[in-house]
Amino acid sequence: MRGGAALAGLLALTGCTTQTQPTEMFQLTPESAINRAMQIRMFETPNERDLLSASAAVLQDLGFQIEESVREVGFLRATKERSAREYGQDLTRFTVAIGSAPLALFRSGPIVLPVDLHQKIAATLIARPLNPDASRYEVRIMFYRVVWKGDGVIGQTAIAPGAQYMEMLRDPVLYQTFFAKLSKAVFLEAFTL
Amino acid sequence: MTRRFIRAIILIAGALFIQGCVAPQPPQDLLAPTEAQMKIRSVQTRTFDVKDRQLAMRGVIAVLQDLGFIIERANEAMGLVTAARFAEPNYYDVVSVTVTVRPMAEGRMMIRANAIYNNKPIEDPKVYQNFFAALERSLFAIRE
Repeated sequence: MRGGAALAGLLALTGCTTQTQPTEMFQLTPESAINRAMQIRMFETPNERDLLSASAAVLQDLGFQIEESVREVGFLRATKERSAREYGQDLTRFTVAIGSAPLALFRSGPIVLPVDLHQKIAATLIARPLNPDASRYEVRIMFYRVVWKGDGVIGQTAIAPGAQYMEMLRDPVLYQTFFAKLSKAVFLEAFTL
Repeated sequence: MTRRFIRAIILIAGALFIQGCVAPQPPQDLLAPTEAQMKIRSVQTRTFDVKDRQLAMRGVIAVLQDLGFIIERANEAMGLVTAARFAEPNYYDVVSVTVTVRPMAEGRMMIRANAIYNNKPIEDPKVYQNFFAALERSLFAIRE
C-alpha cells in the first residue's frame, strides 16, 4: 500500500518536471498567431487617450482595479480578486473522501483533496498606433489568473493550504465580451484582424 | 589499529572545527566585471536603426506580447519594460525579462534584454538571438 503511494508520488513528481526549454520561450509558435487574433482588435480613431480611458472604464465595469498605467506607451494593467470555489471540485473532494474512508483501516486514508479557494484575475492592455499618422489603433489585451489552493490530507500527510498555480486565460468568450463592451464605450466598430 | 583510526577522526574533526571558526571572507572581486559578464552583456545587447524611442518601446512591447509575455511594468521616461510569462505547460515556473531602450548618437537605439528563468539568469545566446530576431521583424512592421 505504502509502496503504491510512493510510486504514485514519484509519478506525480516526474509529471511536474516536463519543462519547456527557455529557448522555445522566445520563439513564435503556431499558437501565437491564434492568440494574437483573439487578443487584438483594431479601432479607427486618432485619439489614443480616449481609447485608453475607455479601456480603463470597461475594465472597471468588469470589476477590475487599475493597478498601473503608462500613457506614453498606451499601457494598462488591472486585477481583481475573487473566490475560486467551484461546486464540482467540492463534490469531487467529498466523493473521494467518502470513497477513500475505508483506507483508514490500513492507516493510509482518507484522502481529502485540496480545492481552489481564491484567485486573482489580471489583465494587461496595450494600445498601439498602426500607421505613422496614428489614425488607427490596435488594442491588445491578455487575461491570466493566479489560484490559491486550500488544505488537504493524503493518508497521514497533511497538505498545507496556500499552494498556488498560474494560468493564461484563453477562453475566446472572455475576449469577445471585453471587446464588445469596449467598442460600445468608444462608439466605434472594432475590426478583427 | 583502532587507536590510529580514532586519532585520525579526531584530527579531521579538529580540522573541520578550526575551519568553522574562520569567518568566510567575501571575495575581493565580487563586484568586479568578469570575462563572462562582458560576454553575456554583448549577447544581451543590440543596436537598431530607430530614431524615436517611443516607437522602439512600442515595438519591444508588441514583440513581447506576440511571444506570449505579460507586460508587468513600463516606464517611458527611462525606457524600461518588464514582462513575464509562465513556462507553459509547466505553470509553476516563470520566465521574466527586462528590456531597456537607450538612445545613442546618430539616431540609433541600444536595446538590452535580461531574461531570468525562475531565479536563474538565462545565459544561452540562442535565447537572445531569437528575441532580437523577432524584435527586428516587429520594428520593421511598425515603420511601414
